[in-house]
Amino acid sequence: VNKFLGLTLFFMVILVALLFTTGCATEQVVGEEQPAEEVLEEAGTLVFTANGEEFIRDGFVCKDGWELNFDHAYVTLASVSAFQTDPPFDTEMGWEFEDLVQVRVDLAGVHTVDLADPEADPALVGEAAAVPAGRYNAIYWEMVRASAGPAEGYVVLLAGTAEKDGEIVKFSLGLDREVAYLGGEYVGDERKGILQDGGSADLEMTFHFDHLFGDFGEAPDDEINLEALGFGPLAALAVEGTLEVSLSDLETMLAADDYELLLAVMTHLAHVGEGHALAEFLD
Amino acid sequence: MKKTKDSLALLGRISILSGLILLIFPLLASAHGVDITAVPVNAVEIVALYDSGQPMAGGQVAVYAPDEPLEPWLTGTCDQEGRFFFIPDYSRPGLWEIQVRLAGHGDLIRLEVTAAEEALASDPGGLTLLQKVVMALVVSWGAVGTALYFSRRQS
Repeated sequence: VNKFLGLTLFFMVILVALLFTTGCATEQVVGEEQPAEEVLEEAGTLVFTANGEEFIRDGFVCKDGWELNFDHAYVTLASVSAFQTDPPFDTEMGWEFEDLVQVRVDLAGVHTVDLADPEADPALVGEAAAVPAGRYNAIYWEMVRASAGPAEGYVVLLAGTAEKDGEIVKFSLGLDREVAYLGGEYVGDERKGILQDGGSADLEMTFHFDHLFGDFGEAPDDEINLEALGFGPLAALAVEGTLEVSLSDLETMLAADDYELLLAVMTHLAHVGEGHALAEFLD
Repeated sequence: MKKTKDSLALLGRISILSGLILLIFPLLASAHGVDITAVPVNAVEIVALYDSGQPMAGGQVAVYAPDEPLEPWLTGTCDQEGRFFFIPDYSRPGLWEIQVRLAGHGDLIRLEVTAAEEALASDPGGLTLLQKVVMALVVSWGAVGTALYFSRRQS
């Protein structure tokens, strides 16, 4: 009898031990960390593009009722780099993100593209072939003064026609202060920057010119219009229906508040899709 | 004898009829029935606001699972307060991405989803099926052992 009782107790101890063991095993599974992102290996091609969106390609009515159409919208880009970071970069992390970088891909050269070209949907800036596959979740670029070509001397050159109530102004607006931008992952109706083995992935530098001129389609007190210059202050500077000015000229020609507004616009002109980018003047 | 046969035949018909009623009744009942269950789960609440603090009412939401970053796992729309609720698939732990966009403005946030949250969501008691089976075995073995022990002592 004692032997049977002992055997019973022995089995109960074993089963209780098993119970605890399974409990511990479950906790280990629960605590196991899985890869945060899809593991992509090998190499592919990164395609760098720039996009001025329909505002620039098709024209639009700005906040003060001027209808703008663009013949050219040149931007000159340099020091373009894409990054894979861990954890994924977010602009709230700020500029100091070097410690997070796992992979960096540089696009050599200085590139001037015309965002008003109807074919620039988006405009090709350049390609980097045989680069590591993975998720490129940060992009850095600089807008620099073009050293040659139609946009020489400017980081952005907008040329076109503005019309309001029968008044027509042919304009050429050149921005000549260089700016650096740092953005995160593309925000939009498709995913970009996810490069799979043997494939290609786009990385887009997006420019929102409605931030400069405002949008008549939005309410006057909408943020986009409150923070935009509009075209009215520029139209007031036109001589015989023509306006050819640079940012440097405007420092003395515009009201101080308007000039400050224009400088501020340059720091939130660039996006990655609809996601804002960090910005700082280089000069 | 004939009476017995008739009685058996009647009993058989009643049995078949009863069986049919029993089969059909639940079907009839379920046609207009309502079955409500309530299970607490771990949901995610998103609140999307413009920098000004204004809610992104009607903002388009796209949720991406960590193992399928190219296609949205879920899409939806923010309510008037800019809120959106969803329950992640806890069997796909990792970094989930949530994108909210409206009229040219948008942002993307990331949310770490762990299997621990799954356990909490699916079984608030914290016991797995295996653990429950082992517990039942322990109790059964204890009961049988105790019974055998006393039966031996009596004999």
